[in-house]
Amino acid sequence: MKLYYAQGACSLGIHLLLNEVGAAFELVKMDMRTGDLKQPAFLAINPKGKVPALVLDDGAVITEWAAIACYIAATHPGHHLIPADPLAAAQTMEAVLTINGTIHIAGFSRILRPAAFAPNPEDKETVRNQGREQFLNGMQLIADLLGDKDYIMGAFSIADAALFYVTLWNNMIAKLDIPASINAHYARMVERPAVRQAMQAEGLA
Amino acid sequence: MKFFYSPHACSMGIHVLLEEIGKPYERVRVNFAEAAQYKADYLAINPKSKVPAIQRDDGSVLTEFPAIAYFLARENPESGLLPATLEGEIRGLEMLEYMTATVHMRGYTRIFRAGNFTPNAADESKVIETGLGFVTKGFEILEPVLGAKPYLLGDHLTFADSGLFFLTHWAKFRADIAMPANIEAYLGRILERPAVRRVLEDEGLAG
Repeated sequence: MKLYYAQGACSLGIHLLLNEVGAAFELVKMDMRTGDLKQPAFLAINPKGKVPALVLDDGAVITEWAAIACYIAATHPGHHLIPADPLAAAQTMEAVLTINGTIHIAGFSRILRPAAFAPNPEDKETVRNQGREQFLNGMQLIADLLGDKDYIMGAFSIADAALFYVTLWNNMIAKLDIPASINAHYARMVERPAVRQAMQAEGLA
Repeated sequence: MKFFYSPHACSMGIHVLLEEIGKPYERVRVNFAEAAQYKADYLAINPKSKVPAIQRDDGSVLTEFPAIAYFLARENPESGLLPATLEGEIRGLEMLEYMTATVHMRGYTRIFRAGNFTPNAADESKVIETGLGFVTKGFEILEPVLGAKPYLLGDHLTFADSGLFFLTHWAKFRADIAMPANIEAYLGRILERPAVRRVLEDEGLAG
């Protein structure tokens, strides 16, 4: 397998899941700043021009964060990355999609790229503030789910990999005052060898 | 089970799955015109103030479109909504995630609610143009995925079709966006389904 990723992007969550299950894979680094994702060579792999993209040994390509995470979980059932019970499995997906949709797309994207939302540069700070509000609302929802457990669903799951990448973004870029339980979750995550290894491989350690 | 929806919102895709499954459920309209999604009663169901949401008889609530669609398909295997193979399941999830997070949230939301993206009314037309770009590209990407098949994953309707149904219905009846040939034909085909007709009647959209 090959994982197309960008340093510290949401692909980090997929990278650490591949490490967790001990998959054999090759990392292919893409640089978002130099427009790698819009080059024809990459668009032939993922016409959406986004990472993560996972290329299987038979050449099939899987895109979209939750779909890739579900694929890794389903092909490595011994690691229980998604609970077996259908409702608990759906709740795991729900947490992932809240992190991807509310915290990442509605929240962080506004903070990082306000110009993609409002064309007028003068509106940058207004857009960023809206993004901060969404980011924090989403974090609070996840903190409510997490409660005083070690991991969102009790045992480690794909939802923790999603929470990890947005918490890293908060530490490195957004620097918002997020719930203490989320920071404690982050500290717990970086203790996991698979997570540390992914951070080292991406030059983030 | 309760199903929380708003007429012609993306919840119509989940509504179709419920009608295809054919088991009893209670439909609860969240009145967006009265901002009911921001009021305490609904915030207790979904603090994200969005539809669709389902509440099971044990009180547990599930939100997020792909999670609900996948759950309903798994819980009702006799409906045929769940693909038979792992590859089909993953492809279905991949499509739903793209259709809801990119084509809907980055595309249609800019078109329908440009004011959520820019504080300047004068800039709304630019926001709408960006949104149209996302929707048009979405159809370009989905057209070869659908190909000449009757439904997204083959000969019969699966949970993934809940997404393409609302995207195409919006293109034709809400946003007036041209669709590629296979996708346009797909909408015509899905509109013929008795379950879809019931949904449109129930939501006051039958023409």
